[in-house]
Amino acid sequence: MLKTLIRRELLDNLMTFRFAAAVFITLLLVVANTIVLLKDYEQRLTAYNTAVQESHEELRAEKTYSGYSGTLVVHRPPNPLSIFNLGLDKQVGNKIEVYHAFVPTIWDAEKHGADNPFLNLFTSIDIVLVFQGVLSLLALIFAYDALAGERERGTLRLVLTHPIQRGYILFAKYISAMLCLLVPLLISLLLSIILLTTSTTVALNTDDFLRIGGIVLTSLLYVSLFYLIGLCISALTRRTSTALMLCMFVWGVLVLVYPNLILTAVDIVPQPETQISVYHQIKQMWEKLDREKKQFIRNDAVLGPPSRGGEDMDAGFGLEGVEYTFWQGEDKPSILLYFHQTGLYAGKIKAESEPQVPHVQDYYGFYNRETINTVQRTWLVRKPALEAIYIQPANLGRMLLRFSPGGLYDAATEAWAGTGLEGTQDFFSTVQRYRRAVVDYFYDQKIFESRQWFAADKGTADWDTLPQFSFQRSDTGINAKRALPDMLLLLTMNVILFTVIMLIFIKSEV
Amino acid sequence: MWHIAKRELYDNLNSLRFALTTVLLLALMLTNAVVHLHKHPKRIQKYRASVTKSLADLTVRTDSLYNIAQQGPGLLYKKPSPLRFCADGGEAFLSDVVGGAFLWSISGSSGRLKGFWRLDYPAATPNLINIRPDVTKVDWGFIIGYILSLIALLFTFDSISGEREHGTLRLMLANPIPRHTVLIGKFLGALISIIIPLSLAMLMNLLVISTSSDVHLGANAWGRLGIIFFIAILYLCLFLALGLLVSARVQRRAVSLVILLLAWVIFVVFMPSTLAAIVSGFSSPMSTDELWKRRGQLYEARWERYDTHLPKESEPAKRMQFEGEHVIQEAQEQERLSHEHLAQKTTQAQLARTITRISPVAIVQHLLESFAGTGFNRHLQFIENTQRYARQFREFVADTDRADPESLHFIGVREGMSQKPVSSDAVPKFEDTLSLSKDFNAAAVDLLLLTLFVVVLLSGAYLAFVRVEV
Repeated sequence: MLKTLIRRELLDNLMTFRFAAAVFITLLLVVANTIVLLKDYEQRLTAYNTAVQESHEELRAEKTYSGYSGTLVVHRPPNPLSIFNLGLDKQVGNKIEVYHAFVPTIWDAEKHGADNPFLNLFTSIDIVLVFQGVLSLLALIFAYDALAGERERGTLRLVLTHPIQRGYILFAKYISAMLCLLVPLLISLLLSIILLTTSTTVALNTDDFLRIGGIVLTSLLYVSLFYLIGLCISALTRRTSTALMLCMFVWGVLVLVYPNLILTAVDIVPQPETQISVYHQIKQMWEKLDREKKQFIRNDAVLGPPSRGGEDMDAGFGLEGVEYTFWQGEDKPSILLYFHQTGLYAGKIKAESEPQVPHVQDYYGFYNRETINTVQRTWLVRKPALEAIYIQPANLGRMLLRFSPGGLYDAATEAWAGTGLEGTQDFFSTVQRYRRAVVDYFYDQKIFESRQWFAADKGTADWDTLPQFSFQRSDTGINAKRALPDMLLLLTMNVILFTVIMLIFIKSEV
Repeated sequence: MWHIAKRELYDNLNSLRFALTTVLLLALMLTNAVVHLHKHPKRIQKYRASVTKSLADLTVRTDSLYNIAQQGPGLLYKKPSPLRFCADGGEAFLSDVVGGAFLWSISGSSGRLKGFWRLDYPAATPNLINIRPDVTKVDWGFIIGYILSLIALLFTFDSISGEREHGTLRLMLANPIPRHTVLIGKFLGALISIIIPLSLAMLMNLLVISTSSDVHLGANAWGRLGIIFFIAILYLCLFLALGLLVSARVQRRAVSLVILLLAWVIFVVFMPSTLAAIVSGFSSPMSTDELWKRRGQLYEARWERYDTHLPKESEPAKRMQFEGEHVIQEAQEQERLSHEHLAQKTTQAQLARTITRISPVAIVQHLLESFAGTGFNRHLQFIENTQRYARQFREFVADTDRADPESLHFIGVREGMSQKPVSSDAVPKFEDTLSLSKDFNAAAVDLLLLTLFVVVLLSGAYLAFVRVEV
């Protein structure tokens, strides 16, 4: 019996204009956007490869170890799954310096490659966004007359005269409509995957296909939720025109109005005022380091006397052969970044200055060690402050978005694609670990207090034994773990709505 | 005709959609007003503080003409528009400051020469530190462009096909009324029943905004608001006409709604961004890395020229003249490069914007931006203002120097310029202005296009309805 019902509903749905339109529109939008996104991805990948190559060469050109500031740069590869959900992949910086004088975070990153900030004026569209807008609309269009229409036409009465449970009828309607909605979803996804695999630049591995599977599953839950919302409205209303009108308004509110309204409104939530005080705290720590540094020089028997440059030690300690001295630093109160470093570069130190060299080496050993300690101390205050200023408001917005199915869908697919905040943070934690590894390597090899730190005459810096940076996207398991809460929420909503519809339908009079 | 319009109006006023529309529009407009009231005073405060700081910096430099000319008038800030609630225009992505030139330190061999002030156009990259979810700001542009168009379709999709389904169309056409009267009556009925909640919501929005003492709307602003209201009506007409057209051609209202919604999704939601993305892929402007590379090359070439051509010390006047020219030309060269870089980026964005005009929502957003004094065109106007000011400023430096008989008139070198202190009042101040006539010029094409769309769709609806078989 159920089979007959499903077949009837399926035929009913498949032969309609809306089904044809649904398939056509989804295909058109998905294919058009896949081509655009693919091209964009390829461009970003090329930019990434050139940037990596350039950084590699720039670092090799440095003769002393202290010159690695600004040239030891790591790059974030574009995520191929960003075609499905762009998330933060294109937005946040993709080029970050690794240096012992600061802990790299998502906010310190910059951008490589050609970028036109004016293009930010146009919103970018990914496949999930197409599904979010179009499939939900289609689900509602399929659902609005499922019950109200049959009631209006009187066919519901006819069907109910048969000895079938009402639940079966509902179930049959649900299954057949979902099958119909699956057609545009799967065909368009298939087409976009074909486009992806034919492109030579995108290399998808098994894990990526699993992640895409997760995205499909989430899409299914999302579409089903909207179908059930439509069905609920249809069960509640007597007339199809009312049902249609309500459906459209619900769609407008859930997809268009609520997310934008809530994110605009959340902007006026007061920001924590910690920023300035933390910034000053950090600055004070660096000033303390400055004083200690001067104290160290003053106490040194050879470097100390003012004749050698004394307190104004940037002058190169009176070493003969210094080509230039440098001052390196950042002062960005908005992201609580503050540091400065001084150093010198000597091509060939002359013989008369040779007795001083061990003292300078000592000094750099001390200075670099203390710098790293200071960075550790500042990081203890900087990290929570950054979280309060940037992460918490962002998470508040994300949490409020979850009250709409669109927000849940977006969050879950972002987690699958690994382009969300957590996925992006993965990269920056890897960079932080890499910085740690570089610092440890410098400690182990006694590079901080070596002659090669500042002079290139007796052996130059050897960059080949430096730890290599590599970034792997998180495991599928972690993706799944991150996506699961949102997917479960979607599922729960589905189940609740289905139960509600069942109750309404069973109690309703025909 | 009025009879039909009245009938439609009464029909609509009692309907569910009218109630929902009113609630939706009121909620959106209220949020918009509250957010604006919260944010605008902060923007104004920031702008004033920055301008004051800029002026204070300038006053410090007035001890000599050289200092003023070399370090420039300070940063030039874009004045925040009081009508930003009408159209946000992606202002966050547009820099609000021009001038913070990176002065390539010209210490060189002589040590006396310093780079001269030149215009520089920093890019705003708020999204590098912004990790919040992407959002379309709820401004009037959003409310009108997206919500109002959807509502217009919901009000008209069944106006003809619905009546046909009910059979009332046959009844109405049996009366001795010309068909176009029926169509216009329906059109007006729907138009008025949307204008009522729309103007209600707009008035409430303006009431909330204007009662606050923090935001001051002048006569100019009210005039612009009037124009914006007119544009909103025109845009509304477009979608009403589209709704009537499809409704007249299609037998069943469900089908008509499906067609309308899908057309809406394509034209309003996806078309602008997809087309913009496709078109912006055609050109690749100079990247920032390339800009810096070329800057370095120019700089080195200039210095090479300096080292080879510098007159001997025995000819101090010639030497000074050469050095002055060197400094001024270096600044001009770099400024030209920055300008070229900006122009390439602007052209790319401009082209993408032009293409998106196929979509009515893009047109209406461009129009609202123009009249609200925000967005891309406004940014270009601001840059033009700063360029005009830069010329004015340089003329001032030249004039002041010329007025001093003791000066050697070699601008670019400290010893060659007037040594007298300059009164800080005499230095021209930058004032970012908005001109309504310029806005009109920028908006003319969009306005014409919008009108054209409306006329075409209305006549299409007329033709469709005249030929309809009942």
